[in-house]
Amino acid sequence: MKKEHRLHYIIKEGILDSFYIWKEEIRNVFKDKGVIIFFFLVPFLYPILYSFMYNNEIVHDAKMVVVDQSDTYLSRDFIRRMNASSDVKIVGVCPDMEAAKKMVDNKEAYAILYFPTDFSKDLNTGKRTTVSLYTDMSSLLFYKAFLMTATTVSLEIGNEVRLHNHPNTTDKQDEILIEPVPYEAITMFNTQTGFGSFLVPAILILIIQQTLILGICMLGGTTREKNRFHTLVPVSRHFSGTLRIVFGKSLAYILIYVIVCLWEFAAVPKIFGFPMVGHPVTVILFLLPYLFACIFFSMTMSGFMKTREAPMMIFVFTSVMLVFISGVSWPKEAIPPFWRAVGYIFPSTAGIQGFIRINTSGALLHDVIHEYHTLWIQAGFYFVTACIIYRYQILRSRKLIIEQYEYMKNKQNKRLNPEIHPE
Amino acid sequence: MNKNSWLHNIGVIARREMSRLAHQPVYFFCMIFAPIFSMVFFLTLMSDGLPTNLPIAVVDQDNSANSRKIIRQLDAFEQSKVVLTTTSFEEARKEVQKGNLYGIFLIPRDFGTDAASGRQPKLSFYTNSTYLVASSLLFRDMKTMSVLAGASVGLQTGKARGLTDDQIMAQLQPIQIDTHIIGNPWLNYSVYLNNTILPGIIQLLIFLVTVYSIGTELKYGTSREWLGLGNQSITVSLLGKLLPQTIIFMLISVLCAVSLYGFSDFPLNSGWGPMLSALFLLVIASQAVGVFMIGIIPTLRMGLSTASLFGMVSFSIVGFSFPVLAMSPAMQGLSYLFPLRHYFLIYVDQALNGRALHYSIDQYLWLAAFLILPFIVGKHLKNAMLHFKYIP
Repeated sequence: MKKEHRLHYIIKEGILDSFYIWKEEIRNVFKDKGVIIFFFLVPFLYPILYSFMYNNEIVHDAKMVVVDQSDTYLSRDFIRRMNASSDVKIVGVCPDMEAAKKMVDNKEAYAILYFPTDFSKDLNTGKRTTVSLYTDMSSLLFYKAFLMTATTVSLEIGNEVRLHNHPNTTDKQDEILIEPVPYEAITMFNTQTGFGSFLVPAILILIIQQTLILGICMLGGTTREKNRFHTLVPVSRHFSGTLRIVFGKSLAYILIYVIVCLWEFAAVPKIFGFPMVGHPVTVILFLLPYLFACIFFSMTMSGFMKTREAPMMIFVFTSVMLVFISGVSWPKEAIPPFWRAVGYIFPSTAGIQGFIRINTSGALLHDVIHEYHTLWIQAGFYFVTACIIYRYQILRSRKLIIEQYEYMKNKQNKRLNPEIHPE
Repeated sequence: MNKNSWLHNIGVIARREMSRLAHQPVYFFCMIFAPIFSMVFFLTLMSDGLPTNLPIAVVDQDNSANSRKIIRQLDAFEQSKVVLTTTSFEEARKEVQKGNLYGIFLIPRDFGTDAASGRQPKLSFYTNSTYLVASSLLFRDMKTMSVLAGASVGLQTGKARGLTDDQIMAQLQPIQIDTHIIGNPWLNYSVYLNNTILPGIIQLLIFLVTVYSIGTELKYGTSREWLGLGNQSITVSLLGKLLPQTIIFMLISVLCAVSLYGFSDFPLNSGWGPMLSALFLLVIASQAVGVFMIGIIPTLRMGLSTASLFGMVSFSIVGFSFPVLAMSPAMQGLSYLFPLRHYFLIYVDQALNGRALHYSIDQYLWLAAFLILPFIVGKHLKNAMLHFKYIP
């Protein structure tokens, strides 16, 4: 038996070649400014930028204008309390709706609160009264702030008026009639209903996938542009086996992304105060298949990139869709089955779903078992496709070398023996 | 050089550009396929307007005719669907963490009898704010349900004491808030999101295509030939090159407008004119920003990276989900640099609220002002086109 065919020799060579390829790939990454942008700069800067945008978390002082036809103690009290709340700010009191509308049109205010003439009279005589709230729909969060604050103040004042109307009530029946069934609303997890706490963890997960795709596909595209035969694997003895290429390269990416993940999921939430209730071990166990799935998915995609710019043209615009298909903002139950199926192509779908539940709702690994399994299956599937891609590229590059060799040989023969080829 | 030869040169370059666009599939992908795919994706994804039948649990510790009635009523609300009825709060909480539920409605023990005998039992409801949209929709339903449950008990006791319905309601809720939502009265999320996301995607793709089409001239060393056709005038060369792209992207934005205001019947209180002109301005403003990006760093990959990053940040900084006014002053200032932000403000004034045109004039002018950008980098770009050696 020849030395090259013994198993232990193949394994030893394979491992050595894997490490050689790993080293090569790390060098390629650090040589390429474009890749550095996606592997380091984007994961570093984006979380900071998003944190700055959303660091107020909730809307404060949404601007509101008042039309007070009643102009009584009660209506003024109502206005005072609206203004005293943290969410709403009263920017003016107008004599009529025309003037108030003008303020809204000028974007000096985003809502109008209208008190009818009989506001106090009705209340004091035990009749029901109506306060009208007109809101602009340019922002749902403004609308929410106006509605919530107005409701709270109306309940407060309503209760006080009732007590005032029935001053010495000792009759339990009255109290029951006022509030027969009290209720309380409790927010689970993300308790201040912060916008950043809701969206940023999902964006962090998506950044991992998108930067890996862009970076790895860019590396692939560059190799193809540079290589003599425009194939993904260079002509070199070390690049002769599929597995050693896939192992070597993915090892390089995973090492880089361990650092990226530390920044994204340990440092960023700490610095900017985003929720981080997940158990660290659970987070690590969950991120592992996610990284594998993303890396092998990207390596598979890199087989289709002929130039280094192609990945940016193709993948960047998908980011917004991937946020929506993941079900973090548009609930997954409301996503049509076809798009839900499409979502399974990308690791980010299960990645975002599982991660936000671990990170924000404190789920354990067995609570996200469906997503966890999905990620492992994706990792396995895309590992196989990545191997197929590289196998094909190795074969193609060999074929091209042989063709080139034959061509050169023929040319030489032609020159040496012109009489054989009379044409 | 006279005007005719200018026009002639522009025509020659435009024809050359059209053949370039036709011969590289990546242009077809970014200019035709990607925008149309996005329109189909987002409009079908949100075709319901509002998510319906979001799963919730009822923890029913009462298990009486009363509590079962509440469950039935809650289930009948459009946004909520009771998928689990249990007596264990723990079980429901677990299901929330598993992502199977977005909310829990808790009916305490002896709720029915306590309410009837005036012992004021308390209803509680829990929403999972990890999912902000789902939780705020459910909040609305569960709160209404709690108020209704109270009202029905109140009506019963009040009637027993001989009060009229009006008197009882005045007791239960002395001040009623009557909400009028201007522009999008159904709180339709599709209207709310797609009016900004789709133009945002078009803006992103324009950045990419503009940078790519100029960057490849530099990368593959055809920029001198291109500049030569324009008789060494950067203005003529750029106009000729970008014109075919402008036309295609304008057609795409018309298609976008038709799919929003025609097929989907979204509010268009301003009529077509103001929105179409806003879209056209968005197209050329984005092209101008694209030229600026490649002009300032004349390498293809850096230009494309900038285009990608800038394009993606637009979606957040435009403020259609988290309002710009709630961001820090620095971010508010930054938002002016994004054409999409001005387009969004025009949309709010015009299509959504149908305000007079003069309220939006500033934003139209802002969009037009982006056209200055190419002139700032023109000289630099021309220099690069003449002397730049592409380093891969």
